[in-house]
This record gives sequence, C-alpha cells and structure tokens, in this order.
Amino acid sequence: MSLTSYVLRRLFYVIPVILGVCFLIFIIFSVVSPDPTISMLGKHATKAQVLELREALGLNKPLYIQYFDIVKSAFTFDFGRSWSTKQEIFEMIKQGAIPSMTITFPAFFLSVLLSVSISLFVAFYRGTFLDKGVVFVCVALMSISSLVYILVGQWFFAFKLGLFEISGYEEGFPDVVPYVLLPIIIIIILSVGPDVRFYRTVMLDEIYQDYVRTARSKGLSERKIMFKHVLKNAMVSIITYVVLRIPFLILGSLLIESFFGIPGLGGMTLKAVNSSDFPVIKAMAVLSGIATILFNVITDVLYVVVDPRVKLN
Amino acid sequence: MAEKILEVKDLVVEFRTDRGTITAVNGVNFEVFKGQTLGIVGESGSGKSVTALSIMRLIPNPPGRVAGGEILYRGQNVLDIPLDEMRSIRGNKIAMIFQEPMTSLNPVFTVGNQIEEVLELHQKELSKQQRTEKAIEMLKLVGIPSPEKRVHEYPHQLSGGMRQRVMIAMSLACEPDILIADEPTTALDVTIQAQILELMKKLQTEMGMGIIMITHDLGVVAETCDDVAVMYCGQIVEQSDVKTLFGHPRHPYTKGLIESIPSFDSTTGGAKGRLPTIEGMVPSLFDLPSGCNFQNRCAHVTEKCRGPHGEPKLEPVSKGQMVRCFHPLS
Repeated sequence: MSLTSYVLRRLFYVIPVILGVCFLIFIIFSVVSPDPTISMLGKHATKAQVLELREALGLNKPLYIQYFDIVKSAFTFDFGRSWSTKQEIFEMIKQGAIPSMTITFPAFFLSVLLSVSISLFVAFYRGTFLDKGVVFVCVALMSISSLVYILVGQWFFAFKLGLFEISGYEEGFPDVVPYVLLPIIIIIILSVGPDVRFYRTVMLDEIYQDYVRTARSKGLSERKIMFKHVLKNAMVSIITYVVLRIPFLILGSLLIESFFGIPGLGGMTLKAVNSSDFPVIKAMAVLSGIATILFNVITDVLYVVVDPRVKLN
Repeated sequence: MAEKILEVKDLVVEFRTDRGTITAVNGVNFEVFKGQTLGIVGESGSGKSVTALSIMRLIPNPPGRVAGGEILYRGQNVLDIPLDEMRSIRGNKIAMIFQEPMTSLNPVFTVGNQIEEVLELHQKELSKQQRTEKAIEMLKLVGIPSPEKRVHEYPHQLSGGMRQRVMIAMSLACEPDILIADEPTTALDVTIQAQILELMKKLQTEMGMGIIMITHDLGVVAETCDDVAVMYCGQIVEQSDVKTLFGHPRHPYTKGLIESIPSFDSTTGGAKGRLPTIEGMVPSLFDLPSGCNFQNRCAHVTEKCRGPHGEPKLEPVSKGQMVRCFHPLS
C-alpha cells in the first residue's frame, strides 16, 4: 500500500471520530448544561424575556438540528456569531490565532530544539555530575509554579529592569517583540524541565541497546552514534510527544495570555467562558477536537516515515 | 608457526559495584595467531565476554575498568593508544560479532547502510557507488540469497540466521586481522548454528583472520577451534590445543564440562543413564574462597586446595598444556 492511499484511508476514518466529538460537545452544551439565558438576563427576568432570548439565540430549535449545526460547523468552519460581541466567530478566531501563535510557535520550536539538544548532551555524559546537575535543575524548574515565573518576570525583568513590556500587544514586526519575548521565555522555561527529563529517558533507553554496542565496535565516534543511531531510534517517541502538542499551540495559552494581556485565542476563550458565550466556547471545542484528531493522523504518518518496522496495513 | 597477531598479558578487569569491587577478569594470558581460532569457554559470569570486550576497549566505564595487563595487537598495546586510534582499529583491524543478532543491528537503517557505514569509516577511498557494490559483495560472500535486493532491506525483514550473516558481513567488510565472536550461535537454531560456524570457518580459510570464539558450548569449540582456554571465575583454569583438551583434560572442571556434553550413550540410557553434571554452583565473585576457586565443586579436593598455600598457579603439565590445579588429573 502506498503512503498516499494510507493517508487517504486514515483521513477517511477521521470522519466518524469528528461526528463523535461533535456529539459529545452537543451533549455538554445542548443537553446537560443549564439554560444560559438565565445567567445572561439575571434573576429578575420575566418569562417572556427568557423565551424571547431563547428564540433569538436559536435554543428553541429541535435537538437534532442543534446537533446537525455543530457537525456542519466542524466541516464548514462557520460557527455563527458571538452572543456577546455579535462578531463572526470565524473572524474572531482568525484574529486571535495570530497573537497566540506569535507566542506559542517560537516558544515551541525553541523549546523542542533546546530540550532535544540538552538531552542528547546529558545522555552523552550520563551518570556524571553534569547529568545529575541538569536533572536537578529540571526538577527544580518543574517544581516552581508557573505563576511565580509570570509574576517575577513581570515585576523584576519587565518592571524593575525594563527589559520587556509588562503586558499588552502591538501588531506587526518588530513592534511586537518586546511584548511577546517574556511570555515566550516563560513558556520555554516551563516546558524545558519536563521535556528534558522525558527526552533524556528516551535517549538513555536507546543508549543501552545492543545496536549501540555494535556501532561502537565498528569504530564509530560517540558523537556519530548519538546523532545518527540513537537519535533516529529515539525519533518515534520524540515525534509522538512533539506533534501531539501542536494543537495546544494553536489554541494558545489561557494563563499566559490573560496575564500578559495578549489578545489571543486563550484570552478569547476565557472571556467567552466568563460571559457564557456558548457559540465561541463550542467553536473552540470543535476546533481543538479537529486539531487533535488531525495531528494524531500526522503522527501516524510520520511513524511510517521514521520507523521502517511500522507496516502500512 | 603462524604469525602471532594478538597477545593478551595478565589482563585484569574490575567492576565497581555498590557491594564492592569485583575482579571479573583476573590475570588472563593468551595469544591469537593468523588463520587460527582460539576458543574461550566458560559458564556465564566466568569473564569470557568481558575479556572480549576489553580487547575492543568496549568495557563500559564506569563501572568497569581494565586494572592491569597488556593487550598487544601486533606488538602495540591497545590499552595505551588514544581513543581515536583505537576507533581506527575497531571494525577495521579487530572486528566483533555478538550473541544477539536480533538486536545487534540498528532497526531503523537498512543492512546495506550499516555495512557501508564501516566502509565509509575505514576505507575512505571508496566512492558511495563502490561502497554499495562492496556491501552487496559481502552479503553474497556470507551466503545471503539475492543480495542486490537484501541490501535495501531492514533487519526486521531478515531471520535471525540471516541477521547474524549480516553481522558477519559487516565485521569482515574491512578484512580484519582478528574477529571476536561472542557466542555467535547461542541465539540461533541448531541447524542454523552449524551453517554459521561453517561459514565462519570457510571465510577464515579465505581471508586468513584469527578468530576468538567465545562460547559456553564445547561442541562449538570441538568443531571450530585450534586452541582453547577454559575460564572459571575470571581466570583461565586450563589452556591447550583442542585435541589435547578433549583427549586428555587435566583440570577437574574441564573434565566435568566434557563429561556433561550429551552423547547418544548417555541420552538413550546406556551404561550411564543420567547425564553427568558438575555439582554445586559457581561461587559469587563478591565472595571467592581462599585457595582454589573450584574447591567447592571438585571431587578431588584436598586440604591444600582450601587455602593454606594460596591459589593454584596456571602451570604447564605437558607440552602446550597449562592447568591451574594443585592436583592435575593424570
């Protein structure tokens, strides 16, 4: 079976999964959730007002039509309008995605590069004080709450030293740089700890394999062994770990965005949750579901590329 | 007399563990000659693999370390040379194959790629095209059918026997002086074992390398070796040519090993009935007895063996036969 037909078949299997995801979202928002109009209108609203609003928001539609609307939105990306801002949700997402990704993508690429390099390095020096020191630092970094990094970063580096803007956002390069630099650095610091520990374990698993001993007996240098033999074998685990995190990059970081006043998707979602803006929350739920499913497919396809033992059927 | 290519002198290898330092190899001496096969026989933990790995300088350090002795490859002590120089010997002049053909090859590279890698490293004058041709030639040499196709295959597409053939092809690609084979047939079916041993013998006649055959299987020794060293608890207890060893073993341990080879007499319930075994267990390297290491399992043990005179020395008992025993068998 060729790679193309494998990919097509995998994409075909995605359809029922998307229908299932939509069904879960439908259950949560249209069946079990409390009536949003009550919180929107306050407790003194009259029955007539509630009915009127339900009619206006489309909550009176039969349930199967409400489910069908969610499914339709998953394929057309037409999510309707926000209840609070009355904007087209798709336009809101398009606007919010850029600031979100301006922060998450550089942070993601740099942290993967950094973590994989550090872990190759410490795997090379396994068992030494250097290795133990790095592991210690990783655990220390992981043990500190993300709020500490945010607050210390904003107070000390941004406010006291004036190295960065404290919060806010400016469009266009290079105006955007002072605003996003600190959030990027904080995301990197937050992910380096657990990532290095994970990659290091993966590398060490490989380093004690027999094929590494064979490679040494051939006269290869340790560096060549690490970068060629060990890294390619470690790729399978690294890919799984890396690719499945991409959906979360698109969705942005709730905490970082709200602390730094970044007008991204994370902040948008948070605002929608606070104002019971159901269509926006639903849209984000549908989108993250689809993104997760698609990147799972991409992971599977990459396995085939990296590991010859993975059969296409 | 054939040319001497490798000489191991008083090799001592130690491992540091949480429970203290153990001496895995303790004063081992042997020589390897061009075109000949030296067998190193012993039970698990007798130090035979450690000996082999120290020749390649592949003892994991820490915890292991060569604590003494010399390994002379063509007169040069490989324990003294810089690591760079050692790498140019590994895979090129001294090559090694391992017990586990299933895991010794890298699963994510084609077998051709892995053979070409050795050539790329040690025969820099070859072009990429020539390397591929040589890889195919090597696969053909080790008897792999349709090598032009196999060269593009991955290890998981080959059987265990085929993989060991690939390992042999890889190790012999640079026509080494010495091939160290660490239990090369242990993980294989009996019929495949015979094929692999035959192949190694055939290639030895063609290429003239010296082989160090590490095994626990005396059948393999009888079939392939010219000389044998029997190891027990990190020491050689008996050393001689293969004929003498099987015909006239002088150490009780060697005799016990030879007697415990199954034969038709013993398995069909002939005169002996049950297969003889060596009673008892190998003593722990953490807790070796004073005197002879074999005393607890020996039928001929006397007071002398238990320590007052120290360890027995490896001493010649007849021409070309050395035994480490106070009371060598007659």
